[in-house]
Amino acid sequence: MGGAPNITIHVPGPLRPYCAGAAQLSISARTVRAALEDLRRSQSAFYRNVCDETGTVRRHLNVFVNSDNVRDLDGVDTTLSQGDVVTILPAVSGG
Amino acid sequence: MADRIILTIGTKKGVFVADAAKPRRSFVLRGPFGPGVPVYSTLIDTRGTPLLYASSCNPFFGMKVLRSKDMGKSFTETKSAPAFPKDDGRALANIWGLEVGGGKKDLWCGVEPASLFRSHDGGDSWDLVPGISNHEHARKWQPGNGGLCMHTIIRDGSRVHLGISTGGHYLSEDGGETFKASNRGVGAGFAPDPYPEYGQCVHKIARHDDAPGRLYMQNHGGWADWTGPGGPRPDIGVLRSDDYGHSWRSIAKGLPSDFGFPIVVHPHDADTVYVVPLAPATRSCPGGAPAVWRSENGGESWSRLGRGLPKKQSYFTVLRDAMDIDRLKAPALYFGTTTGQLWIGREGGEQWDCLFDSLPPIHNVKVAVV
Repeated sequence: MGGAPNITIHVPGPLRPYCAGAAQLSISARTVRAALEDLRRSQSAFYRNVCDETGTVRRHLNVFVNSDNVRDLDGVDTTLSQGDVVTILPAVSGG
Repeated sequence: MADRIILTIGTKKGVFVADAAKPRRSFVLRGPFGPGVPVYSTLIDTRGTPLLYASSCNPFFGMKVLRSKDMGKSFTETKSAPAFPKDDGRALANIWGLEVGGGKKDLWCGVEPASLFRSHDGGDSWDLVPGISNHEHARKWQPGNGGLCMHTIIRDGSRVHLGISTGGHYLSEDGGETFKASNRGVGAGFAPDPYPEYGQCVHKIARHDDAPGRLYMQNHGGWADWTGPGGPRPDIGVLRSDDYGHSWRSIAKGLPSDFGFPIVVHPHDADTVYVVPLAPATRSCPGGAPAVWRSENGGESWSRLGRGLPKKQSYFTVLRDAMDIDRLKAPALYFGTTTGQLWIGREGGEQWDCLFDSLPPIHNVKVAVV
C-alpha cells in the first residue's frame, strides 16, 4: 500500500491570518477526515475556525473536494486522490 | 485622573467604541472592530490600565474574544476563546457575558449553551467552571428564543449569582465551586407549574454594593392573561430579593408592562432602579412610545422617563445588555436599540438625546469612567 495522496487545501481569505497568510496548504491525506486531523495537529489556529471542539465541521461552512460538496459525497469520509483540491468556504448568507 | 467616558457598543456588525470628555456633550465613534461579526458582550476592565473586551461571535468560524489595550483604537484576538473539553459533547455557540473576576487578570465568561468559563490570564486561556457547567440541571435547561445563554455573572464576595435563560437564577456561596438553583418567587409563564425549581427565563439581574443582599431581576413577564394550567401569573417580570437571592418578590406594580430585558441600578443609590418595559407580544415599545421607567424606592412605585424620546411610531427593542449607567456624580443612562440608535439619558434619565442614530442593531452597551 502506497503513501497517502498529496492534496491541496485552499484557504479562504478570512482564515489566512490563522496560517501565516498561506492561501493554500499542501498535505497528505487519504480522506477529508484525515486532512482535518492533519490540520488539527499542524495548523491548530486554522483548524479551530473550521471545526468546533467536538471535531465537527462548523455548521455554516462547506467543504468541497474539487467541485463537489462533501455533503453530496461521503461527508468527511470522502476519499482523496493525488492532486485533489479541498476548498473550505463559508455558506452563502444574508443580513 | 479619571476624565473620560468610554462606551463599548456591541452590535450585529462588530463592536464600536465611543468616548467623550466628562461633560458628555459629544462622543467620538470608532469602529466597527471585528467588522461584520455579531458582538453580544463587552467588558471595560478598569482595574488597572483600562482594557476593553468584546466577544466576536462568528457564525461561520466560531467564537473569538477581542481585546483592546489602547482604549478601543484597535482590537486583537486573545490567544484563545472558551471551548468545551473535546469529550464533553457540547460546542460553543455564543458568548453572552464577560465580567471581571477577583484576581488581577481574572475574567469570567458566560456562554451558550449555558456554561461558565474562567480565565486567570486576561482571556488568553480559559477553564470550564464545572460547578455550574456540569450541574445536574445543565442538560435539562431549555433554550429560549435567544438561545440557551448564561448572560449574567455577579460576584459579591464569596457569592456568585448567575442568570440563565432559560435556566433561572443560580447562586454559589463558595466562590463558584458549587451552585444551587435559587428561584423561590421567580415565576415562569411557559410551564404549567408557575413556580418551578429552575427553568425560568431570567433576562437580567443587577445589584448595588451598598445594599447587601438586595438584588433586582428582570424576568420574562407578560403572563397576566394566561388561562391555561396553573392560571394567570401577573407581575412575575420585575422582582427583588433582600436575602442574597434566596427568595424573590414582585415589584412590577405600577409599570405599563412587566416584560423587558435590561435592569440597571443607580451607581449612588441602591433604591433607584431602571427598566425598559416592552409589550410582551412584540417585545417593542408599548404604544410606539419608548420610555425608561425609574423607581426611587426600590420598586415600590415607578415613574416614566421619556423626555426627548420619540412620542410615537417607535417600535424598537432594548436587549438585555443594551443599557448601562455611568458613575459620574449626576450619572447618565445609555441604551442601544435593535434599530441601531444609541440614546443618552442625562441627569439619571431626565433628558434623552440620541448620540448615534444609524448603527447596526445594538446588542450590548457598557460604560465606564476612565
